[in-house]
Amino acid sequence: MKQVDLHHGAATDVGLVRKVNEDSFLVAPPVFVVADGMGGHSGGDVASQMVVEEFQRMAEDYDPAHGANEVAGAFARAQARIVQYGEAHRALSPGWHAGTTAVAAVLVDEGDTASWLLANLGDSRIYRTTEGRLEQISVDHSVVQELIDAGEITSEEAQVHPERHVITRALGSPEGIDPDFFLLPLASVERLLLCSDGVTGMISDHEIEEILETVPDPRDAADRLVRAALAAGGRDNATAIVVDVVGLVHDASYDAQRQLQSLESKLGGRQ
Amino acid sequence: MSAQRRFAPGDCYAVVSATAIVVLPAAERARVGALWELADSGASPSILLDSLLRGGLSDLRDFAWMGEGEGTTRLIVRGSATARVSSESGDQILSAASGLMWQEATLSTNSRVRISLADAATAEHSLLPGISRVRTVEWDTSTEADAADEPIQQPIAVEPGAVEPAAVESAAVEPAVEETIVEDQFVETPVVAAPVIETPGVEAPVIETPFIDAVPTDAEGEAAAVDPEPVVEATMSSDSPPAGPAADEPAAVVGEDWSDRDGHTVIGAPTPQFDRPPIPGQEIAPDVVSHPVASLVFSTGDVIAVDRTVLIGRAPEARQFASHDQPHVVTVSSPHQEISSTHLEIRPGAGADHGSAIATDLGSTNGTLLVQPGLAPEELQPGIAVSLIPGAVLDLGDGVTIQVTDP
Repeated sequence: MKQVDLHHGAATDVGLVRKVNEDSFLVAPPVFVVADGMGGHSGGDVASQMVVEEFQRMAEDYDPAHGANEVAGAFARAQARIVQYGEAHRALSPGWHAGTTAVAAVLVDEGDTASWLLANLGDSRIYRTTEGRLEQISVDHSVVQELIDAGEITSEEAQVHPERHVITRALGSPEGIDPDFFLLPLASVERLLLCSDGVTGMISDHEIEEILETVPDPRDAADRLVRAALAAGGRDNATAIVVDVVGLVHDASYDAQRQLQSLESKLGGRQ
Repeated sequence: MSAQRRFAPGDCYAVVSATAIVVLPAAERARVGALWELADSGASPSILLDSLLRGGLSDLRDFAWMGEGEGTTRLIVRGSATARVSSESGDQILSAASGLMWQEATLSTNSRVRISLADAATAEHSLLPGISRVRTVEWDTSTEADAADEPIQQPIAVEPGAVEPAAVESAAVEPAVEETIVEDQFVETPVVAAPVIETPGVEAPVIETPFIDAVPTDAEGEAAAVDPEPVVEATMSSDSPPAGPAADEPAAVVGEDWSDRDGHTVIGAPTPQFDRPPIPGQEIAPDVVSHPVASLVFSTGDVIAVDRTVLIGRAPEARQFASHDQPHVVTVSSPHQEISSTHLEIRPGAGADHGSAIATDLGSTNGTLLVQPGLAPEELQPGIAVSLIPGAVLDLGDGVTIQVTDP
């Protein structure tokens, strides 16, 4: 793989309500992870930390030619540990549970060019910006997302839906895991954002776009995102990682906007 | 709601809900559909405005929005939209003169508003909730009694350029202009959850009251789920009188489990095979097949076996796959940009197409030409899968062709 230089920044905060920060993150270029644990102290925080540890281990001996297998392996090992940890606890206190979401971004070799391989389990999110436009890449594994996909509710209604906190896939789930993967060419991503729902649940996509667009340093941008989530109420742990590809020349030939418009006009527009 | 509404027929669209009217030019058909869907589901005027502005202002040149709530009626006009407001104090013409982003007004009760995007006409037909083709709409603002019907619906005040986002974030804004409402359990009416309005270039002041943490202390995890955590959430309302602590209105209502739900994600029942709605007319393809159904011989010299989805383009993107069915992505160069970033998909067919490769143009800018042996050349329709027979040739533009052969 050609050497790709990455600039990155990360920030996390327990928020204004919760007592424990159950979010964990990993910055080990070219591996980036955000995990949002659930289950309370010594549950969610441990689960999300286990994900980070497994990706840390993966990053130490990472083979970019087999990125998807590497990531799937790290997920599987984390899943095994979390399930085992949960079972040990449930032996003492029935009903105890621990789980975590995870989003991961790694660089992979695809042919002889570098690409971003992104993976998602749960409702943490991955966004990219291209030509100043923010786009959510990951698709939430949540009840409300399924209702949106089924056309039963709008995304506005999802924000106040009583089941908006219910996710349908997570590490620690006894039914097993089924992560979604995404593969994006390096040049199509000017800036990458990984974040927990403590960010996206508190501030709008527009606000996120504005911060990513106006704050040049990724460290400052991550910081600003988390502080904006706190300023908006900080109801949950908030974590953000921002990654820039250094020296990525603006690829004028990338026609995301044109293609989207073309697709919209041909398929009848976004509803 | 007893407000009187009338309209004169014309080309423009009026989306009318119980508490709001949005008037858009005839060209905005798609937006009208989306707005009506919201309006029909009971969305508040502010949610309609929010939705209207979601795509930004640059391609939304002309519109009028009028919404009612909390005893006030607000009106916004942009571009060619004008409104004549008649009240006891006389007539007033509202329009966004050149240079203004838009013009906004708060209307007193008992005024009559007449909105037109072009020439006004006499409005004599009665206007009911729904979508109407109009030239002019008239709305008599309701009296105080009517406004009490919908206490939850809180119009979002938008004041062009009032406060920069940075100022909001730093929490340096004096809590002088604040009006607290807090959602009350889960009322059916959609409530604006994030106290933020998405408007490029028009930042609404968002003033948050400091968070009140009433959870005693060391209770963690499960315990926190039980303790009600009162959240006082403020939305902005720039027109409300500088309300101090001795506010006149019943200012704060405290929602109980509102906050908890955000901080307390749980894993729900799994939905093992939730299938996203496929593109109409297409069967869901198998992930990976054991024997390739075809080989693709590219004019660039690449040869790719179709044993799974193959995505072809100038910078192809693959979405939502599992680690075991990662698509082949084939990047082809396109110096004249005739080929789109993710231009064409070829995958093993399902159902009736089992055993053959099928091609789908993914909405490429310049299209894909398909020549099948013995058939006339055809342009692929975006999103419509076509079964390929051996010997078929696909032309993507910029001299890139793909020949389909037996594996």
